[in-house]
Amino acid sequence: MINQKGLYDKKFESDACGIGCIASIDGIKNNQIISDSLTMLENMSHRGATGNNKKIGDGAGIKTQIPHKLLLNELSKKDIRLPSPGDYGLGMFFFPNNTKDYNKSIKLLEETFKKFNFKILYKRDVPTNDKDLCPSTLNFIPKIEQWIIVHKHYIKNEDNLDRRLYVARKYYENLIIVNSSLARSVYIPSLSSNTVVYKGQLTTHQIRNFYPDLSNELFESCFSIVHSRFSTNTFPSWKLAQPFRFISHNGEINTLQGNLNSLKSAESRFESKFFTNEELNIIRPVTSSDQSDSASLDNLIELLSFSDMDIDEVMMMLIPEAWDNDDTMSKSKKSFYEFKSSIIEPWDGPAAIIYTNGKSIGSILDRNGLRPMRYTITEDNKIILASETGVIDIDPSQIKEKGNLRSGKILSIDFKRNKVRFDDEIKNTICNKEPYDNWLKKNRITTDMLPRKKSKFKKINDFDLDIFHKVFGYSKEDIEKVIYPMTENSSEPIGSMGNDTPLAVLSKKPKHISNYFKQLFAQVTNPPIDPIRERGVMSLNTHLGNISNLLSQKDTDCQNILLESPILDDENIEKIRSIDVFNLQSKTINAYYKVDKKEGNLKKALNRLCRYVDDAIDDGYEFIIISDRFLDSSHAPIPSLLSCACIHNHLIRTGRRGMVGLVIESGDVWEVHHYATLLSFGANAVNPYLAFATIKNLRESNSSPNIKKLKTLKRNYIDAINKGLLKVFSKIGISTLKSYQGSQLFEIIGINKNTVDQYFTSTTSRIEGLDIDDIERENNKKHFHAYKEDPTDLSVGGLLSWKKEGEKHAFNPETISLLQHSTIKNDYNLFKQYSSKVNHLNKTSIRSKFDFNFINDSIPLSEVESSKNIYRRFATGAMSFGSISHEAHSNLAIAMNRLGGRSNSGEGGEDEARFKIKKNGDNLSSAIKQIASGRFGVTINYLNNAKEIQIKMAQGAKPGEGGQLPGHKVDDWIARVRNSTPGVGLISPPPHHDIYSIEDLSQLIFDLKNANRDAEISVKLVSKSGVGTIAAGVAKAKSDKILISGYDGGTGASPISSIQHAGLPWELGLSETQQTLMKNGLRSRVKLQVDGQIKTGRDLAIASILGADEWGISTAALISQGCIMMRKCHLNTCPVGIATQDKTLRKRFNGEVDHMITLIHFLTEELREIMASLGIRKVDDLIGNTKLLKPRKNQYWKTKNLDLNPILFSHLDKPKNYYNSSKQKDYLSGQLDYILLDKVKDTLENPSIKTNISIKIRNTDRAVGTILSSEISKRFGSNTINDDSINIDFCGSAGQSFGAFGSKGLTLKIEGDSNDYFGKGLSGAKLIIKPPKKSRFIANENIIIGNVALYGATSGSCFINGKAGERFCVRNSGVDVVVEGVGDNACEYMTGGTALILGNIGKNFGAGMSGGIAYIYGNKNLNNFNKSSIDLVDIDKEDIKKIKILLLSHKKYTGSLLASFIMDDIKNQKNNFTKVYPKELRRVKEKNKIQING
Amino acid sequence: MVKPGFIKYKKKNPSLTKIDKRLKNYSEFQSLLSDKDLRNQSDRCMDCGTPFCHSSCPLGNMIPEFNSAVSDNNWKEAYEILVSTNNFPEFTGRICPAPCEHSCVLGINQDPVSIENIEKQVIEKAFLKGYVKPIKKRKSSNKKIAVVGSGPAGLACADELNKNGYQVTVYEKDEKVGGLLRFGIPDFKLEKKVIDRRIKILEEEGINFLTEMCLGKNISIERLDSEYDAVILCIGSTIPKDIIIEGRDLSGIHFAMDFLTMQNKINSKLKTDININAKDKNVVVLGGGDTGSDCIGTSNRQGAKSVLQLELMPRPPLERDESMMWPLFSSTLKTTSSHEEGCDRKWGVMAKEFVGNSRIEFVKTVDISWDKDKKSFYPIKNSEQLIPCDLLLIAIGYDKPNLFFDDQYSIEMSPNGTILANEKNYLTSRKKFFSCGDSRRGQSLVVWAIKEGRDCAQSVHKYLKKKQLT
Repeated sequence: MINQKGLYDKKFESDACGIGCIASIDGIKNNQIISDSLTMLENMSHRGATGNNKKIGDGAGIKTQIPHKLLLNELSKKDIRLPSPGDYGLGMFFFPNNTKDYNKSIKLLEETFKKFNFKILYKRDVPTNDKDLCPSTLNFIPKIEQWIIVHKHYIKNEDNLDRRLYVARKYYENLIIVNSSLARSVYIPSLSSNTVVYKGQLTTHQIRNFYPDLSNELFESCFSIVHSRFSTNTFPSWKLAQPFRFISHNGEINTLQGNLNSLKSAESRFESKFFTNEELNIIRPVTSSDQSDSASLDNLIELLSFSDMDIDEVMMMLIPEAWDNDDTMSKSKKSFYEFKSSIIEPWDGPAAIIYTNGKSIGSILDRNGLRPMRYTITEDNKIILASETGVIDIDPSQIKEKGNLRSGKILSIDFKRNKVRFDDEIKNTICNKEPYDNWLKKNRITTDMLPRKKSKFKKINDFDLDIFHKVFGYSKEDIEKVIYPMTENSSEPIGSMGNDTPLAVLSKKPKHISNYFKQLFAQVTNPPIDPIRERGVMSLNTHLGNISNLLSQKDTDCQNILLESPILDDENIEKIRSIDVFNLQSKTINAYYKVDKKEGNLKKALNRLCRYVDDAIDDGYEFIIISDRFLDSSHAPIPSLLSCACIHNHLIRTGRRGMVGLVIESGDVWEVHHYATLLSFGANAVNPYLAFATIKNLRESNSSPNIKKLKTLKRNYIDAINKGLLKVFSKIGISTLKSYQGSQLFEIIGINKNTVDQYFTSTTSRIEGLDIDDIERENNKKHFHAYKEDPTDLSVGGLLSWKKEGEKHAFNPETISLLQHSTIKNDYNLFKQYSSKVNHLNKTSIRSKFDFNFINDSIPLSEVESSKNIYRRFATGAMSFGSISHEAHSNLAIAMNRLGGRSNSGEGGEDEARFKIKKNGDNLSSAIKQIASGRFGVTINYLNNAKEIQIKMAQGAKPGEGGQLPGHKVDDWIARVRNSTPGVGLISPPPHHDIYSIEDLSQLIFDLKNANRDAEISVKLVSKSGVGTIAAGVAKAKSDKILISGYDGGTGASPISSIQHAGLPWELGLSETQQTLMKNGLRSRVKLQVDGQIKTGRDLAIASILGADEWGISTAALISQGCIMMRKCHLNTCPVGIATQDKTLRKRFNGEVDHMITLIHFLTEELREIMASLGIRKVDDLIGNTKLLKPRKNQYWKTKNLDLNPILFSHLDKPKNYYNSSKQKDYLSGQLDYILLDKVKDTLENPSIKTNISIKIRNTDRAVGTILSSEISKRFGSNTINDDSINIDFCGSAGQSFGAFGSKGLTLKIEGDSNDYFGKGLSGAKLIIKPPKKSRFIANENIIIGNVALYGATSGSCFINGKAGERFCVRNSGVDVVVEGVGDNACEYMTGGTALILGNIGKNFGAGMSGGIAYIYGNKNLNNFNKSSIDLVDIDKEDIKKIKILLLSHKKYTGSLLASFIMDDIKNQKNNFTKVYPKELRRVKEKNKIQING
Repeated sequence: MVKPGFIKYKKKNPSLTKIDKRLKNYSEFQSLLSDKDLRNQSDRCMDCGTPFCHSSCPLGNMIPEFNSAVSDNNWKEAYEILVSTNNFPEFTGRICPAPCEHSCVLGINQDPVSIENIEKQVIEKAFLKGYVKPIKKRKSSNKKIAVVGSGPAGLACADELNKNGYQVTVYEKDEKVGGLLRFGIPDFKLEKKVIDRRIKILEEEGINFLTEMCLGKNISIERLDSEYDAVILCIGSTIPKDIIIEGRDLSGIHFAMDFLTMQNKINSKLKTDININAKDKNVVVLGGGDTGSDCIGTSNRQGAKSVLQLELMPRPPLERDESMMWPLFSSTLKTTSSHEEGCDRKWGVMAKEFVGNSRIEFVKTVDISWDKDKKSFYPIKNSEQLIPCDLLLIAIGYDKPNLFFDDQYSIEMSPNGTILANEKNYLTSRKKFFSCGDSRRGQSLVVWAIKEGRDCAQSVHKYLKKKQLT
């Protein structure tokens, strides 16, 4: 590609999409289906994206049956006889559009067909029409041809014909892969006897005209599958468009690297009766490296399908529903999943897939249900499946059934039997095909079944313990502050105030090798998961043993050891060491190297290790234990991560990884991150013997009478690690350990490419660093400390809290007090002392390794842009009122408002009293209002008091995780602002439940723009590899600003492993973003902001040079207000009154607005001085001007090989394209609300006048009612207008976000149905929805609104005459709602309001629900409730009263038959209600009652 | 929420014996807090993420850690943490001016944690419970080391080297070991049995103490050089600063240290040639520091008629001002227990002349004004006063080490008279000779002396190891 020098890598690209399908269940072919499906595609155009040019789409396509009639017609004109359907193959080809390559590719293809005994019957130029296309893209259009081929020996079986075509295609693909120019430009969308794919890098609107075939009446098909793509890239890539040959995928495969590795490991064992060995050699490798995740999945499905596996079974195997924790699942199904889990791990991630092999069409959803899939079945036996409802017009009277696909469920249209088969039917058939249960009973081994151990494990005595601790690099802190708390509390310790210690590669202390690895996390393109509240979908099960032949199954495939956790205690590892059943044996190999003056011993040892492992495999061992127990004064242990990854990748390369289970027995594993890295780089199980010995020693040296039993302490420790691991997987959106294993989901900072390629193959590492000899040298230091030096103590550590002898911290006693003294005394000289100390100490960060490059003459300071002009570029970070005190929070706001900068509300809402300007002119309103996953206090009024609305996708302290405000911090005030109950703890979910993908984020941006058209929308991302690509997507989604946060900033409380190990420094993320946006021509239309440990003017200058228009300051701001880096913010005990709500402590707050202003002033002055010295007059001229920096040369052995040039890479472009110089285009002009606004003018002027309107609506009308609400809020603020002042009756299918942030006074009624995010953020409006009068289906049996309805709703009411999709009422904090059935995860994290549910509920009801009440009608499956946060109680009189009122309204507004029935028979029916009572609410209420009564 | 200790408990000081009672003898008069009270006091520690106390302690004492151990009732652990950075907590726990407490984070807006007293009680508890035991180690090295001077620096250095397996001999010019600790600090602040207790342990651990051996008098540099592999000079900075004004040669004018040493020797029943008695006298102490304060306490115990302390600098403020913002050491007005026992204090006063016939009768003083910016002072006109004075004690600090040896032995001195030794490795200009403590650093705190003694020991260790290799 163009810029190998920069940080962008095309492997970061990802996409998300709209998919859909129309099929005639009866198999009736026509062109109408195609035409309708194209309309459907056009109506989902908002789910796709365009680049900087509206005419350049990200990709769209359609898959149908082969248009036999059309071909027949064409061939008959040429007098060529076309065989019957199924007897010939149709290939769709993209060829190079230059003659030379074209001829070459044609020739090779012809040869291929010849080789496989195919005859080319006819070549057809596919007619195309490029008049709608952007001229600049015309050069990239491939030459598109269709070839009709027949086999020389007439193959009767259509499967067999396809199989042969498959082999021929693979052969051809292998031929062109070796030819680099062809590899990029030749592509085969389809080659099949029954289906064909038309696609391209087109917009959804272009495809119909581009391929005139599609509009030809002769083009007939009984089904049509469409796909529109929203990609983060904009480069020409025709082949990335979908559908693929088997699937259309809306989603993301989070575990791709692991899946590909394990597929590669399995390939060597392929055997099949459907393919000869020669053919299998052609088929291998199954996937190629230069394609998308979806394409790889497609490859695998294709192969398994051709191996005669039922396609539905294939899908169930690759995308299993959550089964391990489901007690309600049938035995046969559970056994099926369990059996299959030992054959292949899930391809995990959010997914809605429509798949077909031409004979049936199916659709499946991932276990979390993270993508929508709605279906409608019509009276004329057509089925419409799509990401949205209402995508084509259907007469309501023609609708037989409406529904949605639920998490982990499957449905299929069987053209042979002409019926739709649903989940139960499909799965029952498949799961009972074989006696999986018996197979498991016979072959599966659990640790309980293992024979007794033969050898006694070695105990480590106290003296050895000290040596071991030093050799493996333990510090006192590790023992006392990391391990000890885990044994006590069963959870990882919490820290706060970010991380100001050096990156591992910059530290002069010997580091654990895992510290060079930064955890990746989900952001925008897929959601992180809540591993606590959604534990049901998570699994820590794993298998130890080899993988069998993927292409055919037998009962012994599950002959391996099942582990419930990857952590083996000392007992179990000895059992495994001694195992001898089913001919399974294990081999222990010692991992050490000789320590002497020579280099290269480690490298030799790793080679030796691989040889030993190879020998062990040759000798038939099934389990390999890599142990580092044996060490002495001249032999050091190989870091376990290195030996593990080395062996893992060696075996993948040799195709033998699948033959053994890899167990790591190591002393250098004690904290969550160590386990995560090991598992992610291939370990199947881990025995942390030294951690256990340490716990034993802790137990023995603790004289406290309360000390728990050793067994308990060990169990607690394992629990803590298990929980921590779940958190690590869930933050990247992975649910199961099996999928996480081998996934390599880390970015490395500071290890060079050669070493990474060799040992950590395919992992991202972008700035070079240590080589294998340097790793040896670092490891030797620890060994030396243990053996060669005089007995000295263990090192103190000093990562979690500053220590004199410990790790460096940029904020230490000296710099903290200098900063405070300088701002209090307004003493710039003191500030310069501070900044020179910080910059000097700042050897902690990448930026400390840059020097300014003085290429210009310096200029006088007076010529530099004035400070006043620069202040607007400052923001403070998002710290919520709740996490910090009112005093601290409002001081920051006043200071920033005085300066013209922007303070940030944080995610806790804001007291409306602050929206009014004070008499002295001070403004306490935060200019930036944040909207985070908890949506606390996010009302239409809140949004309309913002200058900037910031969507927090992640935060530096804990990217990919949710937050929690403990109950003791929620006082009356906080509770009022957050619409919750005092004393009740509040949870923010890890994901925004309305953002599971880039197109969802685009939707939220759209919603917020509607909610406040004057505000800028910004999106906060945390630096990670690929953040630039995400930022490009965000820019395309029309965000005005993108904030790149460093991993090290962030003041929030978080598990210590997240603070230290998740995310990347902003230097990498920011410059990657700058480079990627430049590359895509998107840079100038967005502002880039950066934050994360920005402390000095030098930091500001470097940030801007790397691309930042603006900077965020948080920690330094707090320090100016008295913060002394206590790092205990989560305890509510801040002694200086900042991070606390305690009244006594708040009085101790001593911060002053002026000190903050002085800080910003000093920072600006320092920046200006730097600019003057660089000869730069304006900040704009600094932005992206990377010539002004150069990497510093240094000789320190650890850093001398760093290569920072990729960070400084810059695209050549016009200067004004380097910074923000234009605005996003307005795209609200077509909103339905403008028509409505016109009609409600009178009411807006005089609220006593009521308005009634009727109007049509369709799925492309999104966020209807939001602009209207914004106008109401702007005029009337929180004293809004009366209920029902404006009544609007809609008819049709409403688009996403109907009634979002709907204001009080609005009553919006739909006759029809509605899509996802119905009533999102409702702020007082009344929403009513019911089926059309003409419809014939039973209302309460059909889905009427989509997923994630009423998310973050704060007030109002809602009446839904039908069922809702998944995640209903998540984070509802005040809406009263009636609905007739809900999907999974309803009322999750709810904190207020009432949900009356007159029908079935899905799984995991009420998880994390801490307030509000739900009433459920009917006999319910108790397993569907998540009882960890709720109690189920009988209703009392008060409840009946409330239920009756709601039922009456429901009946009145919707005419619900069910409501009538219950009301009419309330005496009996009341017994059918169950009340869901949140435990927290109950506790607080009962406590209050006692207080009142007592 | 469980209220944390720093909100729940106020600072509690140990009680002191009543003044009239304590003036009757020279014993220590501070009681110990009950275990429970002490635990509560430790509980006030907030275990800061950035422990400023630990930062400002020259020894880097692990203060949050031992506080946490005390609050967990884990005295042994507390003791172990304490001695991991500090050889003699029983000394610092009594007489350290506690920079740690000055920078305690709780001190920003509340009374700081009483770190010093906790330290003292932890070590006393450790002695009581028998945790402090001589650890006899086999000598792993045949290298011999001489430490000259047995003050806090010498003792710490000797202790560390001894623990490292060297054969250590300590030379002390006086008849008993301890240096300034023994002879400079009054018993009511540090009873000498506390020192004896420690010396006994050090002796049992194998350190050889030779008293009445004065370098330059009865032992020579050359001898040390020839007999030892390394020599560490920690001879303190004992030559007092003088005030040369008219009447300085009158009798009844003494250096504080002579006065204090005399009383200490009397208390220890040691021979002394000096006889300074404050009984029924009007005592004037020049100098407002801790030594001055010790003179007041001693004078009152001897039965002085009146005691007046004169200080050059203006009266310090009651609260921190801009010149001493937290976490800097705060020099606010400090009233010591000796002050409480009875004395007058004057600030901004300079002695201009000592008046009398052969014996001092008056001190003529003049008020001065202090110019903060120029850091200099000016006498105020017409402010002269005659103050009756029968005994005048000069306590205005120390100048430099007392070199009994001749510096012709190629040990270089710094311009201000201290022994010149490298700041990092403590090596002097003479091969294998090191120096640490006040003799290198100039007058300072006990805690700094211990710190230098420890660091110097490390450096000596490295030096000897390197030598062994080559």
